[in-house]
Amino acid sequence: MKNIILFFIPVILVFTACEDAFFEDDLASTNPRENFDYLWTECNEKYSYFALKNIDWDAVRKKYSAKIFEGMSEDSLFNVLGGMLAELRDDHTGLVSSFNISRFGTRYLGQDNFDWRIIVDHYLGQDFYASGPFAHGFLENGEIGYVWFPSFTGTVDDENLDFILERYTDTKGLILDLRENNGGNINDMFAILSRLVEEETILYYSRTKNGPGRDDFSEPEAARVKPHDDIRYTKKVAVLVDRGTYSAGSFTSLATKALPNVILVGDTTGGGLGLPNGGQLPNGWTYRFSITQALDLDLNPDFEDGVPPDVPVLFNWDDLTIDEVLERAILELQ
Amino acid sequence: MYYVKIFRYLLLVLALSGGWVLNSSAQTTVPNQQSERSGLSKKERRKVRPQYIGVNIGTNRIKFRDFATSPLFYEGWTTYVGVSWLKADRYRESEAALTYSFGNPETDFNENVATSNFNRFELFYSRLYHVGAWSTSSFNTKVGWMLNTTGNLRTTPELGNYALGLEAFPTLFFSFKLTKNIGRTENKERRQNLSLRTNIGLVNAAYRNGFIHYPGQGIEVNEPDIFKNYELNVAGFRASTGLDYTRYLRNKNAIQISYIWDAYHTGGDLNRFEMANHTLKFTLLFNTNNQ
Repeated sequence: MKNIILFFIPVILVFTACEDAFFEDDLASTNPRENFDYLWTECNEKYSYFALKNIDWDAVRKKYSAKIFEGMSEDSLFNVLGGMLAELRDDHTGLVSSFNISRFGTRYLGQDNFDWRIIVDHYLGQDFYASGPFAHGFLENGEIGYVWFPSFTGTVDDENLDFILERYTDTKGLILDLRENNGGNINDMFAILSRLVEEETILYYSRTKNGPGRDDFSEPEAARVKPHDDIRYTKKVAVLVDRGTYSAGSFTSLATKALPNVILVGDTTGGGLGLPNGGQLPNGWTYRFSITQALDLDLNPDFEDGVPPDVPVLFNWDDLTIDEVLERAILELQ
Repeated sequence: MYYVKIFRYLLLVLALSGGWVLNSSAQTTVPNQQSERSGLSKKERRKVRPQYIGVNIGTNRIKFRDFATSPLFYEGWTTYVGVSWLKADRYRESEAALTYSFGNPETDFNENVATSNFNRFELFYSRLYHVGAWSTSSFNTKVGWMLNTTGNLRTTPELGNYALGLEAFPTLFFSFKLTKNIGRTENKERRQNLSLRTNIGLVNAAYRNGFIHYPGQGIEVNEPDIFKNYELNVAGFRASTGLDYTRYLRNKNAIQISYIWDAYHTGGDLNRFEMANHTLKFTLLFNTNNQ
């Protein structure tokens, strides 16, 4: 047995040494220039909104490359790379390290338009219902149903929706508040919208980057929703949005353009209609950026910069007893 | 630089072939081979060929890199289990196996730790045929083929939306195997074998994401399909080697200790994938036909 072991050991050592023949060079590096080039190239080949946003990525390279130097601190490198990604004006884009997370901040492009405390104190009362991810209650002496959906948690289910829609069946209209909802699981959107349509409906189209060229995209695919078999709400619905409405929130806002019984009230959304994809840099930080485009029913990708409301309304912070956006939605539903 | 590596790969293949070439120089036929074979019909030989069910357990040291999501290597130990079926004698060998490895390889470069929940499945079937001209009384040479499909299911939470990795690598190998009887006795029931098997990929394929790695693709259009952006890429290269020490027991069962090395590099561009496995396993072979 001793001889067998002595035979195994050198064989194992030989093959361990030989495995390098199957691998390309080790690219792990903390070199600032290598990390800069890697990130710039990944974006250059895969980011989906250069053309729409009229971004000259070569010019961006020139601008930020000048800030790279040997020996710069990790903090400095992070700020340079994060600054470069911020040029994409996209919150599905960012850089993550153990000490910081870069972001653009589309929500700060517009004013704040939401305060939950005002709604509770002056409209809903503290006895509102909480069904799964939804908070809801009656407004206007029971004539309007109000549903606050702060995040697409991926937990929307039939029980939640059945209960809510049954409760507000006899109302004149329903308000779905998506202000400051920064997205999440888009499956929730299809679950909600399936309760608002009476026939299969194309909501929008989507296409995916499939090559390094600026216009290398897959064929547009239709996003469809079928009516749910159970309880549906067929009266008018107002969806409240603002600059903090992002990603799945913006997808929902875009989808409302295809639904005749739904109106969008508030401020332009933050966008985020490209699904994020990314990876790791040679130094171990992670990054992401958009690799798809959502297109409206005319196949235009223009809403990435934000889905505009049908009824534009801004909050007036001089009077903290009134939510102007909510008031306007109530008016639209009367 | 990359051509140098391919050259090293070729050297490796040559090195693996070395023992086979040296051995073939003996050119001695197996004693009694003709009489042994001519005494039985094909059907009878098949009937008396020993057949085993194997249960494997071991450990697998893996190292991989998925260029679609990272330029960094992930490395770590995984647990290896498997079941196999083997029907073999001096002239013919058929083997099938299903193995599963699981563990948590990670990268921690520059103190940025990312851990992959890694699952590897392997299914293969192989046939080997005796080459009398290259065999002696103590060495047995067989050549043949192996059809192997290896699949990886990986989740790396640190990678967020692109955490999931799912891929398959079907390969058709050319195989050759040298077996040396190292027992001190000719007693069939107590024999011991040492064998070295090498597999060189003839058709190397990879079924994995295409240009974009986005496992949840289709979710935005209400038609989630994990394979939506997948492509079958027939390119790259793969080789594997197995070193087995087998000891046959009086009850016709056997025990086996093996070291298996398997490495591959897929084709493709931004979605290339590299992986090496070093498996050390212990196998109980249960004889099922009392031969």
